[in-house]
Amino acid sequence: MEPLLRIEHANKHYEGTRALDDVSFSVLPGEVHALMGENGAGKSTLSKIIAGAVLADSADIYWQGARIEIASPIAAQRLGIGIVFQELDIFPNLSIAENIVIGNLQMERSSYVNWKELIAFSKRFLEEVGLAANPRTRVGDLRTGERQLVAIARALSFDARLILMDEPTSSLPEDAVERLFTLIRRLKANGVSIVYVSHKMKEILQIADRVTVLRDGATIGTRRAQDTTIEEIITMMVGRELAARPERLANEPGEILLQVEHLTTEKIKNISFDVRRGEVLGIAGLVGAGRSELGAALFGLDRMQSGTIRLGGREIVPKSPRAALEAGLGLLPEDRKMEGLMMQMSVRENTTMASLGRFQSLGFLNSRTELEASEPVHRRMRLKAASDTIDVGSLSGGNQQKVLFSKWLLANPKVLFLDDPTRGIDIGAKQDIYGIVAELAAEGKGILFVSSELPELLENCHRILVLCEGRCTGILDARSATQEQIMSLATTHATTHATTQETAA
Amino acid sequence: MLIAILVSPHARDGANIFLQAGNLTDVLRQMSVVGIIALAMTYVILTAGIDLSVGSTLALGTSLVAMFVVRPGPENLFLHAALAVAIAAGASAVVGVVNGVTISALRIPPFIVTLASMIGIRGLAKWLTNNENIDIGFGSDAAARFADFVNSKMVILGTFALLALVFWVVLERTVFGRYVRAIGDNEKAGRYTGLPIRRIKIWVYALAGLLTGIAGVLYAAENHQGNPNAGVAYELDAIAAVVIGGASLAGGSGSIGGTVIGTLIMGILTNILRLKNVDSNVEMMVKAVIIVLAVAIQKSGKRA
Repeated sequence: MEPLLRIEHANKHYEGTRALDDVSFSVLPGEVHALMGENGAGKSTLSKIIAGAVLADSADIYWQGARIEIASPIAAQRLGIGIVFQELDIFPNLSIAENIVIGNLQMERSSYVNWKELIAFSKRFLEEVGLAANPRTRVGDLRTGERQLVAIARALSFDARLILMDEPTSSLPEDAVERLFTLIRRLKANGVSIVYVSHKMKEILQIADRVTVLRDGATIGTRRAQDTTIEEIITMMVGRELAARPERLANEPGEILLQVEHLTTEKIKNISFDVRRGEVLGIAGLVGAGRSELGAALFGLDRMQSGTIRLGGREIVPKSPRAALEAGLGLLPEDRKMEGLMMQMSVRENTTMASLGRFQSLGFLNSRTELEASEPVHRRMRLKAASDTIDVGSLSGGNQQKVLFSKWLLANPKVLFLDDPTRGIDIGAKQDIYGIVAELAAEGKGILFVSSELPELLENCHRILVLCEGRCTGILDARSATQEQIMSLATTHATTHATTQETAA
Repeated sequence: MLIAILVSPHARDGANIFLQAGNLTDVLRQMSVVGIIALAMTYVILTAGIDLSVGSTLALGTSLVAMFVVRPGPENLFLHAALAVAIAAGASAVVGVVNGVTISALRIPPFIVTLASMIGIRGLAKWLTNNENIDIGFGSDAAARFADFVNSKMVILGTFALLALVFWVVLERTVFGRYVRAIGDNEKAGRYTGLPIRRIKIWVYALAGLLTGIAGVLYAAENHQGNPNAGVAYELDAIAAVVIGGASLAGGSGSIGGTVIGTLIMGILTNILRLKNVDSNVEMMVKAVIIVLAVAIQKSGKRA
């Protein structure tokens, strides 16, 4: 059978990192094809290329056998490619009917909206996806699952032959997932192909015909779902190249420094763990598992609903980041541009931002002591900057991260939560950061180290806490743990885990 | 400045009127009221905020100082005047605190909050004065002597210069100033760094109110009256001065030096156009072009 869509030799670079490396991928008519891989494996880049949202550096793309280019989202739509994206690109203030026809090339004959025609047109597709809502309803008033159905109805309205679904079940309740699967099966029977991007193993084996696994931007292989197992897919996702681990962490952790019990917020449920003096506790989990949310709870960014946090034996209640900071907690945020740095301010100003109290008298800053304190920290971080008065925005990503790190070194908290500190930075800067983490541990600090890269966690942590869907699914000893073990815990259904926990208790 | 000298009309004896000492200080005096407001507006805009209420607050300030200075008060002339000034400045600062608290506690955008107080405070000023001007007069009574004293070039220019200096030092040399720039640059990062964002914002709007109140006192003295209809569109003049001075409404960039230059450019422009007897309606059109040009030039400079 001729594939509906065939992509060969797709390559894509982003600022020095290789997102896709000679990737090949094909979808048969009426097939549900799952696309899997760890965070950063290249799934979203590939799906964005299919959707026309991103242009490949080079790729041979064939649609029903004919060579084509997908130059824009509109071009994708003209071909018959519909998208149901994670961030749900939908207009919340417009009605269901308007969302369905917006950008629909067959409807835009007149500049005026013919409401009667609009409603009749959209009703057809709402029936097809089984959404019994008034087409005049504002999409913002719908629940997530219903919005997803609107997005699917929209794809059907322009006669999509291929629908791309990115993590469609990530925010759906159980029964809505079942309904979505029924719809997917019906679409399939009508000859529509589905590209299904997801982390959830069980779901994929349940719904997909074939599975393609990506790792580090390359195609690892394609399997028929009925011939494969969860274990095989995990092995394909994490790879086997387990090189000898460098012995970075020489020290043995001391007494308990941070003790967290039953920590619960809106996003995370009932998490308990402790961090010892001099210990690096890795935090693993897929996107949306609650890794950053754990940091947000500890650092007073999210409101605690229940649970206790003890730091050095004393109970603390981090009501605000300021309170957390004063108690001795620090948080290096995941997104250095949005959450970390003041881009128009200088390297030095950013470095001292969290500890200005030390460089002032009567509110006046002493720029000399400020300089004297920040310079050694920059040297220790091996920061490469022309001077410490230039804007942070002009530095490379790795050096920006080092400035952000410097800020927290200077603030000198007892416990530091590092949220994916090596994301998107070059190898050299990564090595520098690993070195500093080990040094901080040797000094007796407690470090929480979030990462999406499992080898990084195995090499740089004493223990690894694994999160899945807001719950802790296990704490492993990093010296004996394997990537497969972590991956399996990270994809364990929290619901099944919760039941086993309850039965155990 | 150079353009101003070149295009200035010449007096009968050939001297350049623009460069005459009297004219230069006139320029400065004319722009002082807006200039003082613009100093505080610089802080507001640095935090990525805006204060539209300053024009109305100025009216409140002029009205209050006139009301209290013409009333019989303490025997001591100084005490009498100081009390009136304190009431006007204090009430204006309270307006700013209310703005700041509403913005930071209720998380309503500054544009909306200060738009509301722009309307409300104008109403308050008119209500307090029965929508009538309060004449301070030109006699030899306490009120008139106070107005004459304040209306000297030295007091007005001195006030502007002193406040500009203080605001410059605070912005460049204090923790508060550093925080003002930081939360405007990236408020979210400020939160993640544990900065006292609410407190800073309340202070910034309070300072805007306070300085507007002080500007109101100068305005009342210059015009020898309290006027509840004063200061219409002054918020826009102040914002224009700050923006011409290189600040970005997105926050994080701007300086007191820039704002002073922006104020001077606006003042000189008005002065030259008046010396040239340009119609005041045309003057507004010219100003509009200058504002856009000034910002466009800065933008292209930054990109290069």
